[in-house]
Amino acid sequence: MLALLVVLSLLLLTAYFGETSNGSLHAVQRGFLTVISPIQDGANKALKPVRNMFSSIDDAFHAKSQRNQLLKQVDKLRAELIANQAEKRSYRELLGLYHLDGRLNVSDYQPVTATVVGKSPNIWYETVVIDQGESSGVRVNDPVINGEGLVGKVAQVASDGAEVNLITDSTMGVSARIGTTTATGIVQPKVGDPNDLLLQYLPANTQSNPGEYVVTSGTVASPDDSLYPPGILIGQVTSENEESGYKSVNVRPAVNLHNLDIVQVLTAAQNSLPVNLARLTSSLPVGQSPGASGAQGEQLASTGAGE
Amino acid sequence: MTGSGPSAALVTRIALLAVVAVFLQTGVVSEVPLFGVNIDLSPLVVAFVGLLCGSTVGAVTGFAVGLLVDLTLVQTLGVTSLIFTLVGYWSGRLKELRDPQAAITPLLVGAAATAGSLVGYSIVEFLLGVDAPVSLELLRQILIGIVLNTVVALPVWAVVRRILEGGLPDDPRRRRRRRRAYTTGGLSPLSRHT
Repeated sequence: MLALLVVLSLLLLTAYFGETSNGSLHAVQRGFLTVISPIQDGANKALKPVRNMFSSIDDAFHAKSQRNQLLKQVDKLRAELIANQAEKRSYRELLGLYHLDGRLNVSDYQPVTATVVGKSPNIWYETVVIDQGESSGVRVNDPVINGEGLVGKVAQVASDGAEVNLITDSTMGVSARIGTTTATGIVQPKVGDPNDLLLQYLPANTQSNPGEYVVTSGTVASPDDSLYPPGILIGQVTSENEESGYKSVNVRPAVNLHNLDIVQVLTAAQNSLPVNLARLTSSLPVGQSPGASGAQGEQLASTGAGE
Repeated sequence: MTGSGPSAALVTRIALLAVVAVFLQTGVVSEVPLFGVNIDLSPLVVAFVGLLCGSTVGAVTGFAVGLLVDLTLVQTLGVTSLIFTLVGYWSGRLKELRDPQAAITPLLVGAAATAGSLVGYSIVEFLLGVDAPVSLELLRQILIGIVLNTVVALPVWAVVRRILEGGLPDDPRRRRRRRRAYTTGGLSPLSRHT
Protein backbone atom coordinates (compact mmCIF):
# COMPACT_ATOMS: atom_id res chain seq x y z
CA MET A 1 0.00 0.00 0.00
CA LEU A 2 2.80 2.39 0.94
CA ALA A 3 4.63 1.73 -2.32
CA LEU A 4 1.44 2.28 -4.31
CA LEU A 5 0.72 5.62 -2.63
CA VAL A 6 4.31 6.81 -2.99
CA VAL A 7 4.35 5.87 -6.69
CA LEU A 8 0.98 7.61 -7.16
CA SER A 9 2.30 10.77 -5.47
CA LEU A 10 5.44 10.73 -7.61
CA LEU A 11 3.39 10.24 -10.77
CA LEU A 12 1.14 13.17 -9.82
CA LEU A 13 4.14 15.33 -9.00
CA THR A 14 5.97 14.51 -12.24
CA ALA A 15 2.87 14.96 -14.41
CA TYR A 16 1.91 18.25 -12.71
CA PHE A 17 5.41 19.67 -12.82
CA GLY A 18 5.88 18.68 -16.45
CA GLU A 19 2.64 20.04 -17.89
CA THR A 20 1.75 23.61 -18.81
CA SER A 21 -0.75 25.71 -16.86
CA ASN A 22 -3.42 24.60 -19.35
CA GLY A 23 -2.77 20.90 -18.66
CA SER A 24 -5.35 18.45 -17.36
CA LEU A 25 -4.12 18.37 -13.74
CA HIS A 26 -4.11 22.16 -13.58
CA ALA A 27 -7.65 22.09 -14.98
CA VAL A 28 -8.71 19.63 -12.27
CA GLN A 29 -7.16 21.92 -9.68
CA ARG A 30 -9.01 24.94 -11.09
CA GLY A 31 -12.25 22.95 -11.10
CA PHE A 32 -11.71 21.99 -7.48
CA LEU A 33 -11.01 25.64 -6.65
CA THR A 34 -14.26 26.64 -8.36
CA VAL A 35 -16.22 24.14 -6.27
CA ILE A 36 -14.49 24.89 -3.03
CA SER A 37 -14.27 28.71 -3.26
CA PRO A 38 -17.84 29.39 -2.01
CA ILE A 39 -17.32 26.93 0.87
CA GLN A 40 -13.98 28.52 1.73
CA ASP A 41 -15.58 31.95 1.54
CA GLY A 42 -18.36 30.90 3.93
CA ALA A 43 -15.93 29.22 6.31
CA ASN A 44 -13.68 32.26 6.16
CA LYS A 45 -16.53 34.58 7.16
CA ALA A 46 -17.75 32.24 9.88
CA LEU A 47 -14.28 31.83 11.36
CA LYS A 48 -13.32 35.49 11.11
CA PRO A 49 -14.05 36.24 14.80
CA VAL A 50 -11.72 33.41 15.85
CA ARG A 51 -9.01 34.68 13.54
CA ASN A 52 -9.43 38.24 14.78
CA MET A 53 -9.14 37.07 18.37
CA PHE A 54 -5.79 35.40 17.72
CA SER A 55 -4.62 38.34 15.62
CA SER A 56 -5.42 40.81 18.37
CA ILE A 57 -3.35 38.76 20.84
CA ASP A 58 -0.45 38.84 18.41
CA ASP A 59 -0.97 42.58 17.82
CA ALA A 60 -0.90 43.29 21.55
CA PHE A 61 2.55 41.69 21.79
CA HIS A 62 3.92 43.96 19.09
CA ALA A 63 1.95 47.12 19.90
CA LYS A 64 4.66 48.95 21.84
CA SER A 65 7.46 48.46 19.35
CA GLN A 66 5.11 49.30 16.50
CA ARG A 67 4.03 52.53 18.21
CA ASN A 68 7.64 53.70 18.64
CA GLN A 69 8.41 52.80 15.06
CA LEU A 70 5.32 54.63 13.80
CA LEU A 71 6.12 57.76 15.81
CA LYS A 72 9.53 57.93 14.15
CA GLN A 73 7.89 57.34 10.80
CA VAL A 74 5.39 60.17 11.37
CA ASP A 75 8.21 62.63 12.02
CA LYS A 76 9.98 61.54 8.88
CA LEU A 77 6.84 61.56 6.76
CA ARG A 78 5.85 65.03 7.91
CA ALA A 79 9.09 66.40 6.50
CA GLU A 80 8.65 64.39 3.32
CA LEU A 81 5.07 65.55 2.91
CA ILE A 82 6.11 69.18 2.71
CA ALA A 83 8.68 68.39 0.03
CA ASN A 84 6.28 66.13 -1.83
CA GLN A 85 3.53 68.73 -1.99
CA ALA A 86 5.77 70.97 -4.07
CA GLU A 87 6.77 68.05 -6.26
CA LYS A 88 3.19 66.94 -6.66
CA ARG A 89 2.19 70.32 -7.97
CA SER A 90 4.82 70.25 -10.69
CA TYR A 91 4.05 66.61 -11.44
CA ARG A 92 0.38 67.42 -12.01
CA GLU A 93 1.33 70.23 -14.31
CA LEU A 94 3.50 67.88 -16.35
CA LEU A 95 0.80 65.22 -16.52
CA GLY A 96 -1.68 67.82 -17.64
CA LEU A 97 0.66 68.75 -20.46
CA TYR A 98 0.58 65.20 -21.74
CA HIS A 99 -3.17 64.82 -21.16
CA LEU A 100 -2.48 61.85 -18.94
CA ASP A 101 -3.77 63.21 -15.68
CA GLY A 102 -6.44 61.04 -14.17
CA ARG A 103 -5.51 58.13 -16.43
CA LEU A 104 -2.84 56.69 -14.16
CA ASN A 105 -4.99 56.40 -11.08
CA VAL A 106 -5.54 52.97 -9.62
CA SER A 107 -9.29 53.42 -10.06
CA ASP A 108 -8.74 53.39 -13.82
CA TYR A 109 -7.37 49.88 -13.58
CA GLN A 110 -10.86 48.59 -12.67
CA PRO A 111 -9.96 47.23 -9.23
CA VAL A 112 -11.93 44.21 -8.05
CA THR A 113 -12.08 43.85 -4.28
CA ALA A 114 -11.45 40.30 -3.04
CA THR A 115 -11.15 38.53 0.29
CA VAL A 116 -8.26 36.20 1.06
CA VAL A 117 -9.87 32.85 1.83
CA GLY A 118 -6.83 30.58 2.02
CA LYS A 119 -3.13 30.76 2.69
CA SER A 120 -0.46 28.13 2.51
CA PRO A 121 1.06 27.33 5.91
CA ASN A 122 4.22 26.19 4.19
CA ILE A 123 7.25 28.47 3.96
CA TRP A 124 7.89 27.12 0.44
CA TYR A 125 4.64 28.39 -1.06
CA GLU A 126 4.18 32.16 -0.93
CA THR A 127 0.65 32.11 -2.29
CA VAL A 128 -2.86 33.01 -1.15
CA VAL A 129 -6.28 32.08 -2.52
CA ILE A 130 -8.87 34.84 -3.09
CA ASP A 131 -12.62 34.63 -3.57
CA GLN A 132 -12.85 36.45 -6.93
CA GLY A 133 -12.11 34.88 -10.28
CA GLU A 134 -12.91 34.93 -13.98
CA SER A 135 -16.56 35.81 -13.34
CA SER A 136 -15.40 39.15 -11.87
CA GLY A 137 -12.95 39.85 -14.68
CA VAL A 138 -9.85 38.58 -12.89
CA ARG A 139 -7.21 37.16 -15.25
CA VAL A 140 -3.81 35.55 -14.93
CA ASN A 141 -1.00 38.10 -14.32
CA ASP A 142 -3.33 40.83 -12.99
CA PRO A 143 -1.55 42.87 -10.29
CA VAL A 144 -2.87 42.56 -6.73
CA ILE A 145 -2.58 45.38 -4.19
CA ASN A 146 -3.96 46.41 -0.83
CA GLY A 147 -3.99 49.62 1.20
CA GLU A 148 -0.36 49.12 2.23
CA GLY A 149 1.10 48.48 -1.22
CA LEU A 150 1.84 45.78 -3.77
CA VAL A 151 0.78 42.26 -2.77
CA GLY A 152 1.60 40.20 -5.88
CA LYS A 153 -0.01 38.98 -9.08
CA VAL A 154 -2.64 36.44 -10.11
CA ALA A 155 -1.10 33.07 -10.95
CA GLN A 156 -4.13 30.88 -11.65
CA VAL A 157 -7.81 31.66 -12.12
CA ALA A 158 -11.00 29.68 -11.62
CA SER A 159 -14.50 31.05 -12.17
CA ASP A 160 -15.00 32.20 -8.55
CA GLY A 161 -11.51 32.09 -7.12
CA ALA A 162 -7.89 32.70 -7.95
CA GLU A 163 -4.42 31.92 -6.69
CA VAL A 164 -2.16 34.92 -6.05
CA ASN A 165 1.63 34.71 -6.02
CA LEU A 166 2.89 37.07 -3.32
CA ILE A 167 5.83 39.39 -4.06
CA THR A 168 7.97 37.14 -1.86
CA ASP A 169 7.34 34.12 -4.11
CA SER A 170 10.44 32.86 -5.88
CA THR A 171 8.76 33.22 -9.29
CA MET A 172 8.12 36.95 -8.90
CA GLY A 173 10.00 39.92 -10.32
CA VAL A 174 8.71 43.49 -10.38
CA SER A 175 10.14 46.45 -12.24
CA ALA A 176 10.74 49.13 -9.58
CA ARG A 177 12.66 52.23 -8.60
CA ILE A 178 13.73 53.95 -5.42
CA GLY A 179 11.35 56.83 -4.72
CA THR A 180 13.67 59.75 -5.40
CA THR A 181 15.59 58.28 -8.35
CA THR A 182 14.71 57.53 -11.95
CA ALA A 183 16.87 54.41 -12.30
CA THR A 184 14.86 51.21 -12.43
CA GLY A 185 15.71 47.71 -11.28
CA ILE A 186 13.96 44.41 -10.63
CA VAL A 187 12.54 43.56 -7.21
CA GLN A 188 12.80 39.85 -6.42
CA PRO A 189 12.62 37.78 -3.24
CA LYS A 190 15.89 37.58 -1.40
CA VAL A 191 17.24 34.08 -1.85
CA GLY A 192 17.19 32.20 1.44
CA ASP A 193 15.17 34.84 3.27
CA PRO A 194 11.48 34.54 2.35
CA ASN A 195 10.48 37.67 4.25
CA ASP A 196 12.90 40.02 2.49
CA LEU A 197 13.19 41.48 -1.01
CA LEU A 198 16.10 42.58 -3.16
CA LEU A 199 16.01 45.45 -5.67
CA GLN A 200 18.61 44.34 -8.20
CA TYR A 201 20.33 45.58 -11.35
CA LEU A 202 20.35 49.25 -10.40
CA PRO A 203 23.08 51.35 -12.03
CA ALA A 204 26.17 51.46 -9.81
CA ASN A 205 25.88 55.22 -9.24
CA THR A 206 22.28 55.05 -7.92
CA GLN A 207 21.88 56.92 -4.64
CA SER A 208 19.92 55.16 -1.92
CA ASN A 209 19.46 55.61 1.80
CA PRO A 210 17.92 53.30 4.40
CA GLY A 211 14.26 54.16 4.92
CA GLU A 212 13.68 55.35 1.35
CA TYR A 213 10.60 53.97 -0.37
CA VAL A 214 10.74 51.54 -3.27
CA VAL A 215 7.82 51.85 -5.69
CA THR A 216 6.74 50.18 -8.91
CA SER A 217 8.22 51.90 -11.94
CA GLY A 218 5.17 51.36 -14.16
CA THR A 219 7.19 49.73 -16.91
CA VAL A 220 7.15 46.15 -18.15
CA ALA A 221 10.21 43.99 -18.61
CA SER A 222 8.89 42.39 -21.79
CA PRO A 223 5.68 42.64 -23.83
CA ASP A 224 4.27 39.51 -22.18
CA ASP A 225 4.76 40.69 -18.62
CA SER A 226 2.10 42.12 -16.36
CA LEU A 227 2.16 45.79 -15.54
CA TYR A 228 2.08 47.16 -12.08
CA PRO A 229 0.78 50.74 -12.14
CA PRO A 230 3.52 53.27 -11.35
CA GLY A 231 4.08 54.51 -7.84
CA ILE A 232 2.65 51.56 -5.91
CA LEU A 233 4.62 51.12 -2.71
CA ILE A 234 6.63 47.89 -2.51
CA GLY A 235 8.73 48.50 0.60
CA GLN A 236 11.51 50.43 2.28
CA VAL A 237 15.26 50.24 1.71
CA THR A 238 17.04 48.60 4.65
CA SER A 239 20.62 48.35 3.35
CA GLU A 240 22.59 48.31 0.12
CA ASN A 241 25.04 45.91 -1.52
CA GLU A 242 27.69 46.67 -4.10
CA GLU A 243 27.99 44.09 -6.84
CA SER A 244 30.18 44.02 -9.90
CA GLY A 245 28.73 46.52 -12.36
CA TYR A 246 25.36 46.87 -10.63
CA LYS A 247 24.01 47.87 -7.31
CA SER A 248 21.33 46.09 -5.29
CA VAL A 249 19.45 47.14 -2.17
CA ASN A 250 17.63 45.10 0.44
CA VAL A 251 13.96 46.00 0.72
CA ARG A 252 11.56 45.27 3.57
CA PRO A 253 8.05 44.68 2.12
CA ALA A 254 5.52 47.36 3.06
CA VAL A 255 2.63 44.92 3.07
CA ASN A 256 2.21 42.58 6.00
CA LEU A 257 2.00 39.46 3.86
CA HIS A 258 1.32 37.24 6.86
CA ASN A 259 -1.90 39.03 7.65
CA LEU A 260 -3.78 39.64 4.40
CA ASP A 261 -7.52 40.01 4.46
CA ILE A 262 -8.89 42.34 1.79
CA VAL A 263 -7.01 42.89 -1.48
CA GLN A 264 -7.73 44.53 -4.83
CA VAL A 265 -7.06 42.95 -8.22
CA LEU A 266 -6.32 45.49 -10.94
CA THR A 267 -8.22 43.83 -13.75
CA ALA A 268 -7.65 46.42 -16.46
CA ALA A 269 -3.91 46.64 -16.02
CA GLN A 270 -3.03 44.41 -18.93
CA ASN A 271 -4.73 46.43 -21.65
CA SER A 272 -4.54 49.88 -20.12
CA LEU A 273 -2.93 52.94 -21.62
CA PRO A 274 0.29 52.69 -19.60
CA VAL A 275 0.76 49.07 -20.65
CA ASN A 276 0.27 49.88 -24.26
CA LEU A 277 2.70 52.79 -23.97
CA ALA A 278 5.24 50.58 -22.19
CA ARG A 279 4.86 47.83 -24.80
CA LEU A 280 5.36 50.37 -27.53
CA THR A 281 8.52 51.60 -25.83
CA SER A 282 9.89 48.11 -25.30
CA SER A 283 9.30 47.27 -28.95
CA LEU A 284 11.55 50.16 -30.02
CA PRO A 285 15.19 49.41 -30.92
CA VAL A 286 17.51 49.71 -27.91
CA GLY A 287 19.06 52.96 -29.15
CA GLN A 288 15.65 54.70 -29.08
CA SER A 289 14.74 53.60 -25.56
CA PRO A 290 14.17 56.45 -23.14
CA GLY A 291 17.20 55.72 -20.93
CA ALA A 292 20.22 53.49 -20.75
CA SER A 293 19.36 52.19 -17.30
CA GLY A 294 15.85 51.23 -18.35
CA ALA A 295 17.16 49.31 -21.34
CA GLN A 296 19.65 47.47 -19.17
CA GLY A 297 16.92 46.50 -16.74
CA GLU A 298 14.71 45.18 -19.50
CA GLN A 299 17.52 43.14 -21.02
CA LEU A 300 18.39 41.66 -17.65
CA ALA A 301 14.78 40.92 -16.91
CA SER A 302 14.28 39.13 -20.19
CA THR A 303 17.29 36.92 -19.47
CA GLY A 304 15.68 35.32 -16.47
CA ALA A 305 15.22 37.98 -13.88
CA GLY A 306 11.96 39.20 -15.29
CA GLU A 307 8.45 38.88 -14.01
CA MET B 1 -5.55 -2.24 11.98
CA THR B 2 -7.24 -5.60 11.79
CA GLY B 3 -7.19 -7.75 8.69
CA SER B 4 -10.78 -6.81 7.81
CA GLY B 5 -9.80 -3.14 7.44
CA PRO B 6 -11.20 -0.05 9.09
CA SER B 7 -14.92 0.21 9.79
CA ALA B 8 -17.16 2.60 7.86
CA ALA B 9 -17.64 4.64 11.02
CA LEU B 10 -13.87 5.10 11.38
CA VAL B 11 -13.44 6.06 7.72
CA THR B 12 -16.22 8.65 8.05
CA ARG B 13 -14.68 10.11 11.18
CA ILE B 14 -11.22 10.30 9.58
CA ALA B 15 -12.64 11.93 6.42
CA LEU B 16 -14.52 14.50 8.49
CA LEU B 17 -11.45 15.17 10.62
CA ALA B 18 -9.26 15.63 7.52
CA VAL B 19 -11.65 18.08 5.83
CA VAL B 20 -12.19 20.14 8.99
CA ALA B 21 -8.44 20.19 9.72
CA VAL B 22 -7.56 21.42 6.21
CA PHE B 23 -10.26 24.12 6.22
CA LEU B 24 -9.32 25.25 9.71
CA GLN B 25 -5.69 25.34 8.67
CA THR B 26 -6.16 27.36 5.48
CA GLY B 27 -8.90 29.63 6.82
CA VAL B 28 -7.75 30.44 10.34
CA VAL B 29 -4.45 28.98 11.53
CA SER B 30 -2.46 30.06 8.46
CA GLU B 31 -3.73 33.62 8.91
CA VAL B 32 -2.27 33.92 12.40
CA PRO B 33 1.53 33.96 12.23
CA LEU B 34 3.51 33.50 15.43
CA PHE B 35 7.12 34.69 15.28
CA GLY B 36 6.71 34.91 11.50
CA VAL B 37 5.75 31.23 11.16
CA ASN B 38 2.41 29.41 10.98
CA ILE B 39 1.34 26.41 12.98
CA ASP B 40 0.65 23.50 10.59
CA LEU B 41 -2.08 21.20 11.88
CA SER B 42 -2.05 18.84 8.88
CA PRO B 43 1.10 16.77 9.66
CA LEU B 44 -0.04 16.50 13.30
CA VAL B 45 -3.46 15.17 12.32
CA VAL B 46 -1.95 12.68 9.86
CA ALA B 47 0.64 11.46 12.38
CA PHE B 48 -1.98 11.04 15.12
CA VAL B 49 -4.35 9.15 12.84
CA GLY B 50 -1.44 6.79 12.08
CA LEU B 51 -0.59 6.50 15.76
CA LEU B 52 -4.16 5.50 16.58
CA CYS B 53 -5.12 3.43 13.52
CA GLY B 54 -1.91 1.91 12.18
CA SER B 55 0.34 2.24 9.14
CA THR B 56 -2.11 1.49 6.30
CA VAL B 57 -4.78 3.90 7.50
CA GLY B 58 -2.06 6.43 8.38
CA ALA B 59 -0.55 6.27 4.89
CA VAL B 60 -3.92 6.52 3.12
CA THR B 61 -4.98 9.42 5.36
CA GLY B 62 -1.65 11.13 4.67
CA PHE B 63 -2.13 10.78 0.93
CA ALA B 64 -5.72 12.08 1.07
CA VAL B 65 -4.93 15.03 3.36
CA GLY B 66 -1.90 15.92 1.23
CA LEU B 67 -3.97 15.84 -1.95
CA LEU B 68 -6.66 18.00 -0.32
CA VAL B 69 -4.04 20.54 0.83
CA ASP B 70 -2.44 20.69 -2.63
CA LEU B 71 -5.81 21.07 -4.34
CA THR B 72 -7.15 23.67 -1.90
CA LEU B 73 -4.03 25.82 -1.94
CA VAL B 74 -3.29 25.34 -5.66
CA GLN B 75 0.16 23.93 -4.93
CA THR B 76 2.21 21.43 -6.93
CA LEU B 77 0.09 18.26 -6.84
CA GLY B 78 1.75 15.28 -5.24
CA VAL B 79 4.33 17.03 -3.04
CA THR B 80 2.28 17.16 0.14
CA SER B 81 0.69 13.76 -0.60
CA LEU B 82 4.12 12.14 -0.85
CA ILE B 83 5.37 13.67 2.40
CA PHE B 84 2.20 13.05 4.41
CA THR B 85 1.94 9.45 3.15
CA LEU B 86 5.38 8.79 4.64
CA VAL B 87 4.50 10.64 7.87
CA GLY B 88 1.27 8.65 8.30
CA TYR B 89 2.97 5.35 7.52
CA TRP B 90 5.86 6.02 9.92
CA SER B 91 3.62 6.91 12.86
CA GLY B 92 1.44 3.86 12.13
CA ARG B 93 4.46 1.58 12.13
CA LEU B 94 5.51 3.12 15.44
CA LYS B 95 2.19 2.06 16.93
CA GLU B 96 2.35 -1.42 15.39
CA LEU B 97 5.91 -2.17 16.45
CA ARG B 98 6.23 -0.42 19.82
CA ASP B 99 2.78 0.94 20.75
CA PRO B 100 4.26 3.63 23.01
CA GLN B 101 1.94 4.53 25.88
CA ALA B 102 3.92 7.32 27.59
CA ALA B 103 2.11 10.63 28.02
CA ILE B 104 4.91 12.38 26.16
CA THR B 105 4.50 10.19 23.04
CA PRO B 106 2.13 12.56 21.12
CA LEU B 107 4.53 15.42 21.82
CA LEU B 108 7.50 13.54 20.37
CA VAL B 109 5.51 12.12 17.46
CA GLY B 110 4.14 15.61 16.67
CA ALA B 111 7.62 17.12 16.72
CA ALA B 112 9.06 14.32 14.57
CA ALA B 113 6.16 14.48 12.08
CA THR B 114 6.55 18.26 11.74
CA ALA B 115 10.32 18.01 11.37
CA GLY B 116 9.91 15.23 8.81
CA SER B 117 7.36 17.15 6.77
CA LEU B 118 9.35 20.43 6.81
CA VAL B 119 12.62 18.73 5.89
CA GLY B 120 10.73 16.64 3.31
CA TYR B 121 9.30 19.80 1.72
CA SER B 122 12.76 21.35 1.63
CA ILE B 123 14.25 18.30 -0.10
CA VAL B 124 11.44 18.06 -2.68
CA GLU B 125 11.57 21.80 -3.39
CA PHE B 126 15.35 21.64 -3.88
CA LEU B 127 14.88 18.70 -6.23
CA LEU B 128 12.25 20.67 -8.16
CA GLY B 129 14.74 23.51 -8.52
CA VAL B 130 13.32 26.24 -6.29
CA ASP B 131 15.98 28.93 -5.94
CA ALA B 132 16.33 29.04 -2.15
CA PRO B 133 19.53 27.55 -0.75
CA VAL B 134 19.82 26.66 2.91
CA SER B 135 20.17 29.80 4.98
CA LEU B 136 20.03 30.67 8.66
CA GLU B 137 16.62 32.30 8.16
CA LEU B 138 15.22 29.15 6.59
CA LEU B 139 16.62 26.97 9.38
CA ARG B 140 15.22 29.41 11.95
CA GLN B 141 11.77 29.16 10.39
CA ILE B 142 11.92 25.36 10.31
CA LEU B 143 12.99 25.24 13.96
CA ILE B 144 10.28 27.67 15.10
CA GLY B 145 7.75 25.67 13.08
CA ILE B 146 8.75 22.48 14.89
CA VAL B 147 8.59 24.18 18.31
CA LEU B 148 5.14 25.71 17.62
CA ASN B 149 3.72 22.43 16.35
CA THR B 150 5.16 20.61 19.37
CA VAL B 151 3.41 23.10 21.65
CA VAL B 152 0.02 22.42 20.05
CA ALA B 153 0.63 18.67 19.64
CA LEU B 154 -1.04 17.63 22.91
CA PRO B 155 -4.33 19.51 22.37
CA VAL B 156 -4.48 18.27 18.76
CA TRP B 157 -3.79 14.71 19.96
CA ALA B 158 -6.62 15.00 22.50
CA VAL B 159 -9.06 16.20 19.82
CA VAL B 160 -8.03 13.55 17.26
CA ARG B 161 -8.22 10.76 19.84
CA ARG B 162 -11.62 11.91 21.05
CA ILE B 163 -13.02 12.03 17.51
CA LEU B 164 -11.63 8.65 16.45
CA GLU B 165 -12.02 6.74 19.72
CA GLY B 166 -15.63 5.67 19.07
CA GLY B 167 -14.71 4.22 15.66
CA LEU B 168 -11.59 2.32 16.74
CA PRO B 169 -11.76 -1.47 17.16
CA ASP B 170 -11.20 -2.66 20.71
CA ASP B 171 -7.48 -3.30 21.06
CA PRO B 172 -6.84 -6.51 23.14
CA ARG B 173 -3.80 -5.00 24.84
CA ARG B 174 -5.70 -1.85 25.78
CA ARG B 175 -8.61 -3.99 27.01
CA ARG B 176 -6.19 -6.01 29.19
CA ARG B 177 -4.72 -2.86 30.68
CA ARG B 178 -8.17 -1.47 31.37
CA ARG B 179 -9.24 -4.73 33.08
CA ARG B 180 -6.07 -4.72 35.22
CA ALA B 181 -6.74 -1.13 36.30
CA TYR B 182 -10.32 -2.01 37.06
CA THR B 183 -9.59 -5.04 39.24
CA THR B 184 -6.54 -3.72 41.09
CA GLY B 185 -7.06 0.01 41.30
CA GLY B 186 -9.58 2.45 42.61
CA LEU B 187 -11.98 1.76 39.74
CA SER B 188 -13.16 -1.52 41.26
CA PRO B 189 -16.40 -1.23 43.21
CA LEU B 190 -14.92 -3.79 45.66
CA SER B 191 -11.98 -1.55 46.48
CA ARG B 192 -14.32 1.22 47.62
CA HIS B 193 -15.52 -0.89 50.53
CA THR B 194 -12.10 -1.98 51.72
